[in-house]
Amino acid sequence: MNCLEFRRELGANPHSTDAAFLRHRQECAGCAEAFARASGFEITLRRAMDIPAPEQLAESILLAQATREQRQRQFYRRGTVLALAASVVLAFGIGMRARAEPLTVLAVDHLREEAAALTLTKPVAAESVREAFATRGITLTDVPEGVSFVGCCPMGRHLTVHLVMRDNNQPVTVIYVVDQRDGSRTDFQREGWRGRSVPLGGGTLILLAQDSTRFDAVEKLWRTAIGNAAGPARS
Amino acid sequence: MSSKQRQFDALVRSLSGDLFRYAYWLCGDQALAHDLVQETFLRAWRALDDLREIAAAKAWLITILRREHARLYERKMPQFADVDDIEVAEERGAQLPEFSGEEGLIRNAMLRLEPKYREPLLMQVLGGFSCEEIARELKITPAAVMTQVFRARQKLKIMLGGGDKGGQLHELP
Repeated sequence: MNCLEFRRELGANPHSTDAAFLRHRQECAGCAEAFARASGFEITLRRAMDIPAPEQLAESILLAQATREQRQRQFYRRGTVLALAASVVLAFGIGMRARAEPLTVLAVDHLREEAAALTLTKPVAAESVREAFATRGITLTDVPEGVSFVGCCPMGRHLTVHLVMRDNNQPVTVIYVVDQRDGSRTDFQREGWRGRSVPLGGGTLILLAQDSTRFDAVEKLWRTAIGNAAGPARS
Repeated sequence: MSSKQRQFDALVRSLSGDLFRYAYWLCGDQALAHDLVQETFLRAWRALDDLREIAAAKAWLITILRREHARLYERKMPQFADVDDIEVAEERGAQLPEFSGEEGLIRNAMLRLEPKYREPLLMQVLGGFSCEEIARELKITPAAVMTQVFRARQKLKIMLGGGDKGGQLHELP
């Protein structure tokens, strides 16, 4: 290492431990003197840079960290509570919606779910029909003919007797809702189905079919069977 | 106390002073330096699992601090101060004990040094980093680091009135 290289290293890295740098310092008096001056400057520079840190710096950082952690925990806890509250409100809303759904809507949904019932053609014994109504606490005065399916089905939160009646291969679905009597007799259309809702006895008779030509006849049969009168249908 | 918390406490107690000094020379403002160090440690807490070796903690924290400082300048546009205000600020600084005597002269000179010279010098003198380590952190070559720290010392000496007249002879390419 020559003097120029030594001075370059001294200016860039005064604490160099490079063997050639150390050897040149020992061999060259001029460079040794420059090294001594540079070392003095480095000590002063280091001391100048060593400004005092604020008292309690570490404590204030640790306090800030602890505070932020606590806030975050509270935030997550509050978030969990809010999420739970939101779930309760949502569940309640869904429940209310289900409760508020009209019988006509529920009946069409139920028909779709139990579509297989429409394919049955073998007549059901009158006794089975009577039993199904008896299960719901209703005693039939008469049993209409032509029933190809009968079941005691839940429909939403309602209790029903679900029947299918056949005439000339055209099925008419009859759903008697035992526990809710709708206020008026109504004809309706929904999702390609024609329907009629009739307040009858303590409940509601709902008829569903592709066309409504047989509704009057079927309604008459069930009025006789369940035993109640109703006014004219509204369209 | 969790082991993570214990490790964090130890880091804060052993390195917050060094980090404060680094932050101060980076931004030239004690209050801002305090905020920078605090924010650096808060970020470090969130990412503490990323710290593999405790020996590398200082370099890791300095990297976070430099990012925080850069973010600060992204958020805050430089404000232009009135000339009279600058004089008042300088006089105020000069009256502080830290800015009196020989060390005070060096401190004033340090603050006047351009950041591109000041920062590698800080890392070398305060941080004790090698040229290679500084180069990695600043994303420049080791040769560029050597040039910058060499020039930083020269400029300081010139500002202090004891300029190395032959300095140009020894300047690195």
